Amino acid sequence: MSAPPRVEIVSMTKRFGDLLALDDVSLRLEPGTVHAILGENGAGKSTLVKCVMGYHRPDAGRVVVDGRAQAITSPRRAHQLGFGMVYQHFTLVPSMTGAENLVLGAAGLPAIIDWDAERATIERFQRRMPFQIDLDRPVSALAAGEKQKLELLKQLFLGRRILVLDEPTTVLTPDEADQILGVLGEMARENLLTVVIITHKLREVLAFAREVTVLRGGRRVGGGRAQDLDRDSLVRMMIGTADIPEPAARDVGPPGSVALGIEALRVVGDTGITAVRDVTLEVRAREIVGVAGVSGNGQRELVEVLAGQRQPESGVIRAGGARYRPTRGAMRRHKVFVVMEEPLRNTCVPGMSVAENLAFRNFDEPRNTVGGVLLSRRAIRRQALERIDRYRIRTEGPDARLETLSGGNVQRTVLARELSEDPAVLIAQNPCAGLDWAATTEIRSRIVTARNAGAGVLLLSEDLDELLELADRIMVMLEGRLVYETPRETADAHIIGRYMASHA
Amino acid sequence: MASWKSWAETATISAAALLATLALFGGFVALRGLRPLDVYAALFTGAFGSWFAIEETLTQSAPLMLTALCTALPARAGLLVIGGEGALVVGGLATVLAGVLLVDAPAPLAVIAMGAAGALAGGAWIGAAGALRHRRGVNETISTLLLNYIAIAVMNHLVTGPIRDYAQVLKPASWSIAEGFRIGDIPGTGIHWGLAVGVAAALLAYGLMRHTTFGFAVDILGGNVRAARMAGLPIGRMILTTCFMGGAAAGLAGTIEVAAVHGFASSSLAVGYGYTGILAAFLARQHPLAVAVVAILLGGISASGGLLQRRFGLPDAATLVLRGLLFVAVLAASTLYGRGRVFRRAA
Amino acid sequence: MVTDLGGWGVLIAVVGGAIRVSTPYLYVSLGETLTEKSGRVNLGLEGTLVMGAMSAYAVAYLTGSPWLGVLVAGCAGAGLGLLHAAVCNLPRVNDVAVGIALFLLGTGLAFSLGKPFIQPVAPRLPSVALGAWSAYPQIRAALEINALFVAGVVLAALMRWALAHTRWGLIVRTVGDNEDAARALGRSVDLVRTLSTAVGGFLAGLGGSFLSLYYPGTWNEALSSGQGLMAIALVIFARWNPVRCFWVSLLFGGATALGPALQSVGFTSNYYLYGAAPYVLTLVLLVWSSSPTRVLAGAPSELSISR
Repeated sequence: MSAPPRVEIVSMTKRFGDLLALDDVSLRLEPGTVHAILGENGAGKSTLVKCVMGYHRPDAGRVVVDGRAQAITSPRRAHQLGFGMVYQHFTLVPSMTGAENLVLGAAGLPAIIDWDAERATIERFQRRMPFQIDLDRPVSALAAGEKQKLELLKQLFLGRRILVLDEPTTVLTPDEADQILGVLGEMARENLLTVVIITHKLREVLAFAREVTVLRGGRRVGGGRAQDLDRDSLVRMMIGTADIPEPAARDVGPPGSVALGIEALRVVGDTGITAVRDVTLEVRAREIVGVAGVSGNGQRELVEVLAGQRQPESGVIRAGGARYRPTRGAMRRHKVFVVMEEPLRNTCVPGMSVAENLAFRNFDEPRNTVGGVLLSRRAIRRQALERIDRYRIRTEGPDARLETLSGGNVQRTVLARELSEDPAVLIAQNPCAGLDWAATTEIRSRIVTARNAGAGVLLLSEDLDELLELADRIMVMLEGRLVYETPRETADAHIIGRYMASHA
Repeated sequence: MASWKSWAETATISAAALLATLALFGGFVALRGLRPLDVYAALFTGAFGSWFAIEETLTQSAPLMLTALCTALPARAGLLVIGGEGALVVGGLATVLAGVLLVDAPAPLAVIAMGAAGALAGGAWIGAAGALRHRRGVNETISTLLLNYIAIAVMNHLVTGPIRDYAQVLKPASWSIAEGFRIGDIPGTGIHWGLAVGVAAALLAYGLMRHTTFGFAVDILGGNVRAARMAGLPIGRMILTTCFMGGAAAGLAGTIEVAAVHGFASSSLAVGYGYTGILAAFLARQHPLAVAVVAILLGGISASGGLLQRRFGLPDAATLVLRGLLFVAVLAASTLYGRGRVFRRAA
Repeated sequence: MVTDLGGWGVLIAVVGGAIRVSTPYLYVSLGETLTEKSGRVNLGLEGTLVMGAMSAYAVAYLTGSPWLGVLVAGCAGAGLGLLHAAVCNLPRVNDVAVGIALFLLGTGLAFSLGKPFIQPVAPRLPSVALGAWSAYPQIRAALEINALFVAGVVLAALMRWALAHTRWGLIVRTVGDNEDAARALGRSVDLVRTLSTAVGGFLAGLGGSFLSLYYPGTWNEALSSGQGLMAIALVIFARWNPVRCFWVSLLFGGATALGPALQSVGFTSNYYLYGAAPYVLTLVLLVWSSSPTRVLAGAPSELSISR
């Protein structure tokens, strides 16, 4: 395999309507390096990469490969030049096997496929690779970590020399992340690849990257050799101010009585496989119980059962001591509230207004109705105005459609709805996923405040840092079971990470 | 929630769809050697050109208002139900049976009983599809379409056999209901009271869907079923209720066809009111009040069918083509929502 | 000489009917399988079927060549398929609703353009008499096989093979299972779906030509009642597998032929109820193969009715 080309991105600019997503961004990719593009959500990292990969046409700027300026007008052109990208959302075809997926992207794929020849080629290729995957299983049967590895194998199989990884480690355990980034780093050092990592995680940048470029608000605001930069300077470049907002202080004090109890819960997933096996746990008032784990180990199904979006096979849920089934009346009586990731998809109606979304929990309560049957839109609007103010939701007005709000403001809306009525139990699942730093800090702060005020919080998160910051106790969920528990004081990220590792 | 801007947007895009349809239909008739402008004029005259035409239009629109609700109500809950045709037929059959069974009862009681029978039968028919959807995950579009064919088969079987009135020679028909049970015309007009039923149903549906807590809950369900579950809303009950209500409306249309128009059940029940109702619901964007207005428009197209046939020799299938084109145009135009800058809120 | 075979007569008639009547189901279901594999559902195939039947009959009558009629029927079907694809490619358009609209439009066009062809008689498609060896007229009738049936069987096997062994087959499956993956490969999702829907419409049109030019062999407005729709339910039951579509088509053909078969041996009452048998069968199968919680196994993930 020949060495990867030198790549220079010069003055990349891209506008979407009124929004200037990229503003004159330039950077250089030395062959055989690991280059990190660091920035908050919304800083322009994805846009930059999509311009290079041929998905977007930039309004200005060019890509120079080995001294020659190239017009990258389509993904296929980018592939021909050796660029390959591994996305956050998998681009594998679920019903096909790993082998079929590998062959799918090949440039010279003949009209009729000779599977025997292809298998032979794949086998020769696999032998040279540092990690192996069973290529005869359909992708839908693979765990998230295996899918990620398969995506990488696919890029290498297709001969891509410049690999762009978009937030590659969100679906991996710390050990898996170390393994994969380590292998890629090796290949880079052997001058076989140039690796570009898009991330918002400082730790990865400092551990693996040789060069960093920091983006903020569509501009390049800093960068250089990773060894010359430290945490604080990177953070300052990323969020633009030296003041990191202070998180809420935790009340020190013993937790109260059991607010939420789960006994021997068994849940079956969409494909008929058991996703949650015999999970038993307790959450007391005034404590945050964190559940760590790579996505795909049953957390989603567990939350769906608690939120009433799925039926369990067996097991008992108790709220405040009494048996709890997630009906509207029970939710109100036991004050159980839910915050989930991707709120537009999971907990809101995007086409309804902010005021309406804010009223999901209490639109049928006497104070918001006339005669108990007719809706009082005036009362709902009044409530909306008050909540928009208290939770600082940035919106044109209470009647604006929820989908016109930014991600952070949508989640603020959800929090305003779920935290306003003095929750006894709060179930939070990846509440800050995909949100910018300011929104993330604010939301975490409100969760702690709710805890201090007496709520029992069950926080399931794929972000170990989040759990280490917020939780009083941390458990690990692996393949549907709880396999480890540690109190906050003695929590060790490496040990937790080891328990999170799936048996690949 | 609906500002004047969103109404203006709806009106503009609907008008665009209408114009595009007329243009395409004009092409269709031009292929037969006719002048489009002549046909447009006849369409208008046949629908609104005389008091008689208006009466015919309103008469034709009455069942459409009801069958449109059969699609529009479940649509707000996120379901695509197209079983108005079958529910109407089943409602008509139930009406005849009720009317004949109660032949000795006083007329007002019999009329109410017939209406109840029609509504219950239609409601149960579509409600069954709703139950299949909720409990077994059966796609309601396919199931209600199948139920249409099954209803027609049952109707054919009954009117050619068990409930056949052999005195009817024109085509196989069921026993007739008593003369005294027939629903008459609104005084001073040639339009039967069915129109009032249709308008009342649309108003009731509007009040229910837009102004009650039930309607709000249905909006949440139709907007995002996961959010509805998270809010603890009784999904199954809401699906069944909206399907039942929609089916009951279409069943009432069957009652009106039997009690106000024909006096008996026959294959004249299955003439496409159900399918035109689907178009009305989409054109009205599933809004109950708009449904009444759109039904009048579509009633006009049906009413002018006779004139088109007499004057130009266009078969009545031509109005089916017009309606099909309109449906396609409306669906294509739905992509324009949100694109027009003039309709967007001030930044 | 008519020999009364009694119960065997019914069975033979059902088998013969299954072979005959299954052909339109087969073509429509194969066409819809391809369309749905690319991630789109086309409920308008009932209208396409009727339009195909009408145009085949009209062309056969006007030109004297039934095979030309078959070809034109396919092209008419492809045209309606292209219209379906064009509208569905527009962002945020509901493909189920478009299907219903095209069902109405296709039926309306067929009825209004086909009025002049109801009375005239068009030449029929020829058949091969595989049962010529038998002395029983019932067996001879049952084993009259049409070339379209044979072509359909070959097509089913070919489609199954092509979906796994050709580049085109892999691309169609990719578009239907993960749009993002297809785009990442540089493929146009819209183009693939347009072509799949057009080919699906072409096949449905061919199925329609069978109805008007072979069995029942006439053109009138009662020719098809829901066969296109049943074929779509059939695809779900066959789990999007072309070869299984063939077997299920035979099953549906047999169910549809049951009524006339029973009539021929004297069960003349309940004619309409027997006519309802295929719809009831379809509904039962649909209920049986659906589940409220499990995703339908084998369903292309981008398909709107399987989510």
